[in-house]
Amino acid sequence: MIAWRIARRELRGGLRGFRVFLACLALGVAAIAAVGSVRVSIEAGLAREGAVILGGDAEMSFTYRMADARERAFMAEIAETVSETVDFRSMAVVNRTEVERGLTQVRGVDGAWPLYGQAALEPSMPVAEALEIRDLPGAVMAPLLADRLALSVGDTFRLGEQDFEVRAILVDEPDGASSGFGLGPRTIVSLEGLAGSGLLEPGTLFESQYRLRIPGADLAALEDRAAAFEASGARWRDARNGAPGVAEFVERIGAFLVLVGLAGLAVGGVGVSAAVRAYLEGKVATIATLKTIGAEGRTIFTAYFLQVGALTAVGVALGLALGAAAPVAFGPLIEARLPIPVAIGVYPAPLLEAALYGTLTALIFTLWPLARTERVRAAALFRDVGSAHGWPRPVFLFIISGLVLTLVGLAVWLSGIPRLALGTAGGLFAALILLAGASLAIRWLARRLVRLARGRIVLRTALGAIGGPGSDAGPVVMSLGLGLAVLAAVGQIDTNLRSAIQRNLPEVAPSYFFVDIQTDQLPAFLDRVENDPAVSRVETAPMLRGVLTRINGQRAQDVAGDHWVIRGDRGLTYRRTAPPEEEIVAGAWWPDDYDGPPLAAFAAEEALEMGIGPGDTITMNVLGRDITATIAALREVSFENAGIGFVVTMNEAALAGAPHTHIATVYAAQEAEAQILRDVAGAAPNITAIRVRDALDQVASALRGIAQATSYAASATLLTGFVVLIGAAAAGEKGRVFEAAVLKTLGASRATILAGFALRASLLGAAAGIVAIVTGALGGWAVMTFVMDASYRFEPISALAIVVGGALATLLAGLAFAWRPLARRPAGVLRARE
Amino acid sequence: MKNAKLSLDGNAGRVDILHGITLDVARGETLALTGPSGSGKSSLLMLMGGLERATGGSVMALGHDLTTMTEDQLARFRRHHMGVVFQSFHLIPTMTALENVATPLELAGVADAFDRAGAELAAMGLGHRAGHYPSQMSGGEQQRVALARAAVTRPAILLADEPTGNLDTTTGVQIMDLLMGLRDRHGATLVLVTHSGELAARCDREVRLRDGRLDALPKAAE
Repeated sequence: MIAWRIARRELRGGLRGFRVFLACLALGVAAIAAVGSVRVSIEAGLAREGAVILGGDAEMSFTYRMADARERAFMAEIAETVSETVDFRSMAVVNRTEVERGLTQVRGVDGAWPLYGQAALEPSMPVAEALEIRDLPGAVMAPLLADRLALSVGDTFRLGEQDFEVRAILVDEPDGASSGFGLGPRTIVSLEGLAGSGLLEPGTLFESQYRLRIPGADLAALEDRAAAFEASGARWRDARNGAPGVAEFVERIGAFLVLVGLAGLAVGGVGVSAAVRAYLEGKVATIATLKTIGAEGRTIFTAYFLQVGALTAVGVALGLALGAAAPVAFGPLIEARLPIPVAIGVYPAPLLEAALYGTLTALIFTLWPLARTERVRAAALFRDVGSAHGWPRPVFLFIISGLVLTLVGLAVWLSGIPRLALGTAGGLFAALILLAGASLAIRWLARRLVRLARGRIVLRTALGAIGGPGSDAGPVVMSLGLGLAVLAAVGQIDTNLRSAIQRNLPEVAPSYFFVDIQTDQLPAFLDRVENDPAVSRVETAPMLRGVLTRINGQRAQDVAGDHWVIRGDRGLTYRRTAPPEEEIVAGAWWPDDYDGPPLAAFAAEEALEMGIGPGDTITMNVLGRDITATIAALREVSFENAGIGFVVTMNEAALAGAPHTHIATVYAAQEAEAQILRDVAGAAPNITAIRVRDALDQVASALRGIAQATSYAASATLLTGFVVLIGAAAAGEKGRVFEAAVLKTLGASRATILAGFALRASLLGAAAGIVAIVTGALGGWAVMTFVMDASYRFEPISALAIVVGGALATLLAGLAFAWRPLARRPAGVLRARE
Repeated sequence: MKNAKLSLDGNAGRVDILHGITLDVARGETLALTGPSGSGKSSLLMLMGGLERATGGSVMALGHDLTTMTEDQLARFRRHHMGVVFQSFHLIPTMTALENVATPLELAGVADAFDRAGAELAAMGLGHRAGHYPSQMSGGEQQRVALARAAVTRPAILLADEPTGNLDTTTGVQIMDLLMGLRDRHGATLVLVTHSGELAARCDREVRLRDGRLDALPKAAE
């Protein structure tokens, strides 16, 4: 077919004019392919090592209690080996001249642990030997805690009322990733050794986990059988999904980063579009000649469409190769930084996803300029009829809209987080429109300001170049602006989140949470803290844990789906009177002396999300006992200021009979914190103190990790923006060579000309930066307001860095392409254009 | 100009363009450089304007040796003493007509650059086109803007490289009239390259070039 033959002949010229096109497309595709590949590698690693991560082929776990006889019998029946462990928070105490305490996540294990994998200890020794009871029971401790308490092998410390000897440092805990988010570093001891600690009394907070070795079993069938114990609070997990929290986290972060990658692809799209436009403008004579000798518009469109299609294939292929190779090349580095196994490899699914995104983006951004080839007239050969501007035929607009919808639909479907995907797509679309509008506004403004700059030749040439015909303000502002906007949005969100957690929260948050306060210890505890002038406020509440198993008699999952309130166990409390700081928004609180059937006051927002309200019944399994309560009231609870907030509060009679402990929050001056801890823990070693500042630091450091990963993905966007910038600078070089020659003829020195070039680049970059700040701030505000449900405050420092960075980037790109124009003699340049 | 030579490095090796030209142009004189294509007329004009550097001999203008000046010194010299007009006009596409004309004045630090540029454009009959960009103007209009830009600093020397080469006959005659009018009004020295016998005939003197050498003796002034 003639179009293909024309396309082939045109491509003989090689790919030289398409370096920017290829780089933009390849970078965008590579970023998405790499993120997707790492995500799939982690998921494959989790699946492959499921049993090791979980610590068994299956696990049954219980809150607050050990398994009962019936449950033990079931486990013994189905499993070859059963390993029993308990997990709870406590304080490790070191008695020196000054008593030191550290929060730790304690794990008590039996002799069978670990069923799969190996615990790595330093010095190397079997776990059984490290934990055995000699004079004292042995313990192994995470290096962080050992450092904090200055403990070495052979030293002793105390948990509750029992002393332990440190036998080794815990380098690797094989099933560590499955335990989820612990507030303190790990200490592992034997269950036997723990017996004398007094920490596993009824009512204390602990979780018991039973790991089962069941080689070759039908796990799905066993899960169905284990469901019989669900009502008494047993939870089942198995190796098919050893670390559900981690898997879900990885999937979400992966999907989120792919969306950031899509932003990069959009930036690349701007570059691709500019490259195709420039290429086709250089082809006006060829197209006019083809029309003169009888080629139809359709033939010409097809010929150039095929060329761009071939280039797209090359660009996507390059991107896929790069995206597939990067995780393999950086495999050891990735594995070292993650606490979970990673099966690095080349996976087709994420590559296919990236290829689809890349192809669609290339089509969307090139169809417009391609469609305009139809409008080139044969007369262009004989006189300057202007290049083909204006709108393409409506059919092309329909096709482009269809492709955009397909791309968005694909992102929504593949990401699995439709709201965020739609938000990202909408944000990108809005940003592109905003940036396109801004580039028009900047050109308009430059044309207006030229009049004011009269007499200042450097400024005037710069403004003229930005506002006048042939200005590259469009692609530069759009590509650099979008790249910077993504970075600005990430920066705004990051600083807002961190300041919310690190600066704002501690002002209103308590100094300490004290948990596991036994009822008989409460008076002494209150006596100590309430009479301390440094303590401004103390709140206490009875604390139980329970699983919400049924709603109105039906399985909770069938009513509320996967809501977080019914995932695992929740804290609950009882009260006589409504707390003054919580507003009752529906129903009514019970009378002070109420002692009828159990009533509950439920958190209003969560109730709304779960579709329940006053009159509905909820069944909570507390320590194996079902308590069914009718919801009497809905209350507005704020979980934001880190005070005590319970989803479920019941009347006193419903829960007071169950064994329970108390939780307390203490608001104290920072300098008094250490003494309060010493006194409380000294008097009651079983009480665990959680320093809010430490917990916040942990959350902040987790957020920092996410922000860092996001910044990497965003910098791919910025890199693409920079490529587009270089492309624009290179494309404009010919114009600048000519301009420099004319200006020299008119008497301009090289310094004057260079200053003009530098100024125009910086002005354009700063303008792109300012537009990016506005766009990024809008994006940041939208994410903070609608996704994070938090307040937003503009962060000027990261914003300033973006504007300066934008100006510097364009300045560098502009100066890199300024030497040739300056070096050329005017005569040669001007005569070449005669 | 004494024994001025010009050689350029091309794809096919070094090419000698001008072979030792010696030529004097008197103050206020009009000189036409003619000759067949490739004879070196435009190159000679470029040497006179310091837009090309002679590879041998010397080029003196208004008592300055152009061959020893740096790029920037040459630029400053042109700024104050020379105006150049090209066949392809060479207006800066990102500037309006008025801005193009004002540029050399601004470079020279003239305070009322835009007033003078406006007056010059009006003198060329282009007052109504001052705000237009080059791409919005016809060839004849663009050349008139280029003429205004060359003349606006009242240079002692005007150089024109085939100023009517890209224009139709009627417009070419208009441009010639304007060019001669400029010389008459401001008394500048005018050197122009042309293929037009008519234009050459209006000059004080015609010099023919052939293969980079002077071909004929200067004719007597009329």
